[in-house]
Amino acid sequence: MEFTTQDKGRYTEVSATGRLNMVAAPKLREVINGVVSAGGKRIVVNLAGTSFMDSSGLGALIGCLKLARQSGGDLRIAAVQPQVNMVLELTSMHRVLTPHATPEEAFLND
Amino acid sequence: MGIMTAAPETRRALVVEDDVDIRGLLVQILKREGFEVTEAATAREGLQKARAGADLITLDLNLPDGDGVEVCREVRTFSDAYILMITARTDEIERLTGLETGADDYISKPFSPRELVARINSLFRRQNRQAAADVANADERQRAAEVQQNLLPRDQLALQDYELCGRFRPSRSVGGDFYDWYGTADGLHLTVADAMGKGMGAALIAATVRAIMRSVATQPSIETAFATAARATEADLEQTSSFVTLFHGRLDAATGVVGYVDAGHGLALHVAADGSVVRLPSAGPPVGAWPDQAWSAGTVHLEPGDSLAVVSDGLLDIYETVEQFTEAVAGVVTAAAGAEDACGRLLDMADVPEVADDVTVVILRRSPA
Repeated sequence: MEFTTQDKGRYTEVSATGRLNMVAAPKLREVINGVVSAGGKRIVVNLAGTSFMDSSGLGALIGCLKLARQSGGDLRIAAVQPQVNMVLELTSMHRVLTPHATPEEAFLND
Repeated sequence: MGIMTAAPETRRALVVEDDVDIRGLLVQILKREGFEVTEAATAREGLQKARAGADLITLDLNLPDGDGVEVCREVRTFSDAYILMITARTDEIERLTGLETGADDYISKPFSPRELVARINSLFRRQNRQAAADVANADERQRAAEVQQNLLPRDQLALQDYELCGRFRPSRSVGGDFYDWYGTADGLHLTVADAMGKGMGAALIAATVRAIMRSVATQPSIETAFATAARATEADLEQTSSFVTLFHGRLDAATGVVGYVDAGHGLALHVAADGSVVRLPSAGPPVGAWPDQAWSAGTVHLEPGDSLAVVSDGLLDIYETVEQFTEAVAGVVTAAAGAEDACGRLLDMADVPEVADDVTVVILRRSPA
């Protein structure tokens, strides 16, 4: 899995490409940790290129959300693909990690 | 199931290579080095055979049905084998070393047999230093696997008019799935859970959750019992920043009514005698995933001939959508001769390379009138 981080002004966008599983989970935590440490408050994880997510991947996203909130910010997800959406809905985690259609929309109303 | 015996004298190698000549050469070299060799010509076959266990895997980067990098990452989710990637282009190696492929080493075609042997020997020298520790670890893993299998309910519940069967296949020697049941005055209690991740860490959490769920068995209200268990579990999970999906059901045998609470599992199906199926949605996130949750109970009524099938998400991996999964499981349950037959058939379906996760199936069937 590959990650790219971009400062979009109003928010920081982290694009995740590949499979978000046990192998990629620690890497995602590391990347988000880096953004938060650098003072990033609003983070959008762009999942357009994430074809698959397992429970470890979901755990990493939840951990990152907690981290962002603990530092007074927020983390949102966007451009979620079908399999990832399925995992979010099965686990009811879409109520906490609500998918946004595009990264631009994630922080549109605040 | 891949319980490791780590006997250093029988080293197993798997050659994943579509070119017949190169494959033949690799097999020959590895056999000469004392390996027991299996071969695969495609990514699909390679993944399947990797699952059977290997100490060394040579993996061609360009396979007809898949990218070797993806295969490598996949193998890494369930295997600690030494992976040697083989590529036709030297410049590829530079690109590959920058990626997190999970491979241990790279070699470019054409390679000389001597070069290959040198690489493998240097690897196993490195590994031999760890061999003693590995044997101890493998021994421990095997004991852990035995402990975990022993935690599963073995008693056949003699419940008139009902059949109950459960099966569990971990992706490694131990796994994060478990199921449990026990008889009560009115019928039975049933729990199916899936702890985040795989392997030993997940298995420890699973064992803890089993004990906690059993400790609330005597609380009459399922919602109160579940809430109590969830609070206790959360305290343990917080240390590990992990979570567990849980389905807990209580059957009243006389009426066929099952009260249940589903925390983030979402894969319990009510399969009616006529083959129609309803999936029971989860009432909230997995336990430990998010603070301050409450889960409301639902009920499902098992008529004669109906089944309740609770499956873990491992089997879901072979379907595009939950709907397809639901229909497929319902089809198998309806066609099967009974709960045990249905469990066996569902586990067989999971015996494909796409399923890299633990797989659990529990079926409660009310006998036809």
